[in-house]
Parts: sequence; C-alpha cells; structure tokens
Amino acid sequence: MTKKILQNCGKCGLCLNACPVYKILKEEQVSPRAKLQLIKAYDNNTLVSSPLLKEIVSKCLMCGSCAASCPSGIDHYSKFMEMRKNMVEDQGETPAIKSLIYLLASEYRIKLGASLARAGQKFVPDSLARDYKLGNIPLKNFPNLNSIPLRKASEEIILPNKKQVGTIVYFTGCATNYLYDDTGLATIGILKHMGYKIIIPKDQTCCSIPLLFHGAAGKAFKNITTNINALKGHECDAVLVDCSTCGEALKNEYPRFLENKGQNPFDANIISSKVIDILSFIDQNFDRLEFDPDFTEKLSVTYHAPCHTKNTFQSHIIAESLLEKLPFVSYKRAVDVDECCGGGGTFFYEYPELSKKMVDKKIENAKAVQAKLWLTDCPVCRMNLAGNLTNNDDLQVLHPVSLIHSALKLT
Amino acid sequence: MLDTQVKSQLVQIVDKNRYLDQPEELACYAYDAFLVESLPEAVIFPQTTKEISDILKTASRFKIPVTGRGAGTSVCGAPIPIKHGIVLCFSKMDEIIEVNTRDRYIIVQPGVVNADVQKALAPFEFFYPPDPGSMNTSTIGGNIAMNAGGPRCLKYGVTMDYVLGMEVVLASGEIVKFGSKNVKDVTGYKLSSLFCGSEGTLGIITQAILKVMPKPETVKTLMVTFDDLDNTAKAVTGIIGSGIIPVAMELMDKLTLNAIEDVADLGLDRDAAGSLIIEIDGDKETCDKEMKKIIGKLKENGAIHIQEAASDIEREKLWTARRSAYGVFAKFAPDIISEDITVPVSKVPLMIRKIIEITDKYGLKVGILAHAGDGNMHPMIPADKENKEEWQRVEKAFSEIFQAAVELDGTLSGEHGIGLAKSAYLPLVMNKDSIKLMKKIKQAIDPDLILNPGKFV
Repeated sequence: MTKKILQNCGKCGLCLNACPVYKILKEEQVSPRAKLQLIKAYDNNTLVSSPLLKEIVSKCLMCGSCAASCPSGIDHYSKFMEMRKNMVEDQGETPAIKSLIYLLASEYRIKLGASLARAGQKFVPDSLARDYKLGNIPLKNFPNLNSIPLRKASEEIILPNKKQVGTIVYFTGCATNYLYDDTGLATIGILKHMGYKIIIPKDQTCCSIPLLFHGAAGKAFKNITTNINALKGHECDAVLVDCSTCGEALKNEYPRFLENKGQNPFDANIISSKVIDILSFIDQNFDRLEFDPDFTEKLSVTYHAPCHTKNTFQSHIIAESLLEKLPFVSYKRAVDVDECCGGGGTFFYEYPELSKKMVDKKIENAKAVQAKLWLTDCPVCRMNLAGNLTNNDDLQVLHPVSLIHSALKLT
Repeated sequence: MLDTQVKSQLVQIVDKNRYLDQPEELACYAYDAFLVESLPEAVIFPQTTKEISDILKTASRFKIPVTGRGAGTSVCGAPIPIKHGIVLCFSKMDEIIEVNTRDRYIIVQPGVVNADVQKALAPFEFFYPPDPGSMNTSTIGGNIAMNAGGPRCLKYGVTMDYVLGMEVVLASGEIVKFGSKNVKDVTGYKLSSLFCGSEGTLGIITQAILKVMPKPETVKTLMVTFDDLDNTAKAVTGIIGSGIIPVAMELMDKLTLNAIEDVADLGLDRDAAGSLIIEIDGDKETCDKEMKKIIGKLKENGAIHIQEAASDIEREKLWTARRSAYGVFAKFAPDIISEDITVPVSKVPLMIRKIIEITDKYGLKVGILAHAGDGNMHPMIPADKENKEEWQRVEKAFSEIFQAAVELDGTLSGEHGIGLAKSAYLPLVMNKDSIKLMKKIKQAIDPDLILNPGKFV
C-alpha cells in the first residue's frame, strides 16, 4: 500500500531546486526526491534501517518547501515524520535531542527548565553545549530568558484601550513565552491598539512541532490534545500565531495528525480554519493602525521570510508589501529574502557546518542592502540570524511586530 | 561494490567524502525521471578536469562502466547506470568561469544549473535561450549531453545551436578541446555537435563555451482557449504558415489544462477543449504587428478566448505552471510515461488525431501537451507498470504512436533523447547502415565501451 502512494512521485526533480539542503550540499541523497525513494525502499524492505539512513533522513529542515513546490501534490511532511519516527525507534536518538523532547513534552518541565536556566541567565541546557557553541551559534549570542514567562506576566483576558472591534485568541508559542517576550508584548500592544480583546489561554503548551519532527508522536499527541482543549470553545475572530511554525502545527498538522490516528478532528478543523499569522492579520487590519506622526525618520529595513511563513501561509509576500506600506520604513529587499537561513528547529544544532554556510550567505546579502533592522517572524530564524552576526555587524534582528508597535501613536 | 584495489585508486583521486558507496547512498543514484532503476557501485563527485581524466584512466584500465549524471532530470533513463559501475555526478562541479556579454559567450563547468546561467546573464540584459522544463534544476552538462530543447527553441533553436566549444575527457582519459569563443569557426570537424546529444556515450563534457543572446525589448504572452482540439492545432499551423515564428507555442488539451489548474490556480478555463500559450518577442513595433496577425489567425480558427499576460509576474506564473505539467500528471497513476515524438508542424493536427485514436483504441487516458510550433509533442499516459495487462496496452499504444509519427515524416524524439526508453525503436527512423556508422564512431572513440554502456549505441 505504501508503495502505491509513494510511487506517485514522478521523480521529476523539481524539488531539488526548492530544497535548501540540496542547494548547499548538491548531493542527490539529501534531496526530497531521494528521501521518498529511500522511504519506499525501507518500506519494501529492500533497504534496512541503519545509522546512515537515519542521518540522511534527518538532514532536512522540515521547511516544507519541497511539498510547496511539488507538482504531484506529495505530502512530504507526513512521510518524513513517519520515517523519522521509524528511525528513532530503530536507531534511537541522541541524548541532546532526547532531553529536548523530554523538556518540551510537558509545560511543567519547560517552566522548570526555564527557571533553572534563568538561574544561569542563559537559555543553555549544559547537555546541549558544544565547545562554547550550540550548533553553529556562539553561546554568548543566545538570547536571555524572559525574566517572567509572558503568559505568567499577562492576564488571561486583556481588554482593548478603545471600543472593542473583535476578539482574538493568541497562541504564544514557547519562544515568545520564555525567550522573546518583546514579540509577545508588541503583539498584545498592537491588538489592543486595534481594538481587539485578547484571550491568552493559560493551558496552552508547546505546539509539538519539535516532537513531531523528531519522531516523538506519542508525546506530541498529549500536547496536541492539551492545546486543542485550550484553544477551542472561545468566541473569537481568529486564532493568532506570532510564529509561523506554531501556525503550521495548528493549521495543518493537528487535523492531519488526528485523522491519521483515527481521532475526531472536528475541533482541530475549526481551530485550523481560524488560524492566521500575525503579519497577515496586521495587513488585513492595517486601517486600524494609527502611527505616531513624530516618527518621521525613515528606517532602513530588510526582511527574512521564514520557511513556514512562505510555505504554510504564503504570507511572505504580504509581509514584504506590509513593510513597504509602513510610512517610517525604507524597505530594502535582499536578493535571497525567501531562502532558508538554516535554522530549522534543531537543524542548526545537528548540522552546524551546513547551517553555518546557509546563514552566512543570508548575512552577506542582508548586509549588502545596508539595512539597520533585519525583521523576521520566526523565533528560530531570529536566534539563528542574530546569533551568527558579529559585534561589527551594524544590524539588529527583530520580529516585525516590535517595529510596528514602537511606531504606534499612544492612545 | 567496486573491487578494493579499484576503490583505493579512485579514493586517491578524489577525497573520500566525494566517493559514495554505501547502499543508502547508491540507491539515490539509480534513477532519473524515467521508470527503470539500476544501482551504481560507486558515485563520485569530481571537481576538476584532471580528476575526471584520472578517474577515466582507472575505469579504462579495469573496464568499469562510467555513467555521467547532472541533476538526474532526464525522462528517458540516460543517466541510469544500467550496467552499474561508476556514476560521475557533476553537481559539485558548478562554477561559472566567465561571463562575457561583449563577445556574447559564457563559459561554465558542467554542473552549473541552467537557471543559474540565466541569473548570471540577467544583470547584463542577456539570456541563454534553451529552456528545458527542468531548467531550474537541470545542469548544463546534462543539457548538452541530451541536446535539450524547451518551449522557446521554436524561435531560438536547441542546445546544439548554442554550444560554441567544449572540453571533453575521453574514455582513455585524454583531454580534448574543440570549438572556440567564435560564432564562426570552421576549423576541422564540428565535433561539439557530435558530442552534444551523445548522451554521455562518447565522452565526458568538462567545460562548455555557450553562445548567449541579448534580451529582446518586448515580450508578449497570450493565453488562448478553443472549444475544439483540432481547431487548436490548426491555429498553430495557420500561424507558422503565415510566416511568423513565435518564441513559443505551447498546446495543452483539456486533461492537461485541468491538471495544471488543479495545482496552479491560474484561473484557466477548465471547459476549454484546447489551449495555447503563445509568446512573441522583439522590438515593440514588430511585436505589435505580429500580435495583430496572430490574433487574426486565432480567430480564423475559432479561438474563443484570447488574453494577454498583464505583467511579468503573470507571465512567469503561466510558465511555471506549464513547466510543472510532467509532475502534475504523476498524481493520476503510480507511473507516467511522457513521449516526445516530433512531426513537421503542418502534420500536427493529424498527429494529434492519431494519438487520440490510438489511445482510445487501447482504452488509455492521455494528456496531450506539445511545443506545437515545432511539432514536438508530449503525449503523457498515466498508468500502473505493475498492472501487466494495462502495461501491455501502454506499450502497444506507444509503439503505434511512434509508427504513426514516422509515417508522417516525424521522428522518435524531439528533445528528451533515446536513453533506455526508446532504443528498441531506433530502427524505425534509422536504417541498418546508419546505426552501424554510429557504432563505428562509438568504437573508435570508446573502444572498451565503458561510457554509459547499455544505451542506444
């Protein structure tokens, strides 16, 4: 049965050019087409499981660019996730990834991990550290943890400053909650300014994408159920994400995961239909924004399109046109604006050399347009881009909401 | 796996991370976009001409088959190592050596992707005309070895028309060079024409000098629909017959158009029985004049809807969708066979009727896609190779389609090549003595028959 489905890959090779890993390595075996062939061979027992097979299958950013460009409509995600699960079961997982999964599988452990790490001020579990670098990123460049997690610091229901125009359920994701509360505070600020009531369900937890990508389907199921229960049942206009990878989970993976498991995807489908990324949301509500008239100096800004913004929401184009619309921005497009930065969840840690090549190219092209601000709407991209800049680089990496929020007229 | 003695010699030539021979890796070099698979014993990524020469010397000494591979997008099995041995993969030999638009040429290594040539030329307002559907992935080395075509070859000609010179490593390891940076060059045999399209059976191309063209001032693209496929084809012959040579004239039948619309969502008319994408270029005045004539011919042949692409983005979307056609067909069945017969353009309507007649007879689904302006057709049949009974019908149908094309003064392949797919049909278009001459050439250049063995020669 598996064979039949997989044979529908016509092996045309269009995915090679879409795959960021292939483009760097230029070796067929890491290409999406080859991975499908390997999965087929594994399923047919013509190729047995091995550490090398696991390595080849894991050399993937799970960015979704292959699926987005596939003319045959192949669902690479599900196939790769299933195969990763098989590989973890057959070959085991590295201690570092194991501890990450252990951490993310329970909100309690994430909190505990964060407060332990906060004692050391940096988000660096020792077991992950490698010669003063975590993957390709020097330790000193990692962000500080939020002094208080965003969801703890905020009310569960936040009312707007003006007449209410609607209600938004905000899924903050782990990164905004524990690492980048500037993103969360700016998002809340913008929503209030627009007139939205904000609900931040307290029970939400890790979206489970890292678990799914590392073959921990059982643990993912627990998180998915928790999140669906936290997000469902609110009267709201939209379920908002500030991270497009969390968005990919809510929009596509939850319904698919439950369906594959034979569970009722009803609630997941409703949530999925309401999920929107913050930049598309701002674009749709652009008329509700009032900018500070004193904000006259034009900032030179460039943008990095995260893979899931591009492939899940196709909102990278919206993001760019939004930036061009901002009266205080002079938008400088980098030639490789929509190329992957090599962050890819834990990819930067697992394949530091490969990842470094990708991020260095991005940095070179961003510097070439002489921007001061480098905006991106994914926390891993942000960590990866910022973490690989040197002290001499006059470039600051932020989520676009931070810039927009700082330019709003006070009401 | 290769003998340890051979391996140790090869690993001295390229460092060991450019030598693959684990089963997990070899499995990824056993295929292209064709149906057959065959495992190599080793995959080597050369980066210099010297390395290639040394590899071939070793391969010659031990009589090991060597099959070249670029990005593996061939649809006829040309890079499949059917006799195993070594796959030489050029994807890492991908340097653009010189861009010279003043003298109108570009020099590249074989692993440079076609689209990257275009990107390198774009700032100078130049382009490289051959545009195979795989151009975003496929390499120049592969394009030359297969003499690749593409939609705009109607006006601009195929890869062979753009190869000014090349450096080639022969099976013996000797390094030969022919041609020059000059468009006019009648020094000796035009050997680059022999190696271009040789499908890797005569030598390994290690460098190429390509002719490039200035970008035209104006490009106009039309999307036209018809309620009758026959009329669609007649419009093509009408336009070509009137003396206009568009850049491209792409014909799609209803099945193809709908399959593309399913993924691309371009707002194409799903009810149209036939459609054409027509592109012209040149200076503005000529384009306007030609466009008028074309529209006249389209209306004469019953075109229902004629729409011009409003922007470069719209045009690019249309072409991206068109290039995905092969892939979109993959969803219909486990396997897809795309053929490549070519007939004189006046015979296009007749050939299309023949294709439909034959596939109907065998109860097969068919999508017709054609670079219609030059008579190059891609009937695509989705089928399941495991279904023996159906597969027999597919083979019979294709055999009859080939026969019909030949009877209309056509040929087996316009741009895909012979590879593994069509070698059995070669006698349809070449007599015994012609095939014998090809074999003599092959034996003279590659006496041990180590280069891409098991293919058409």
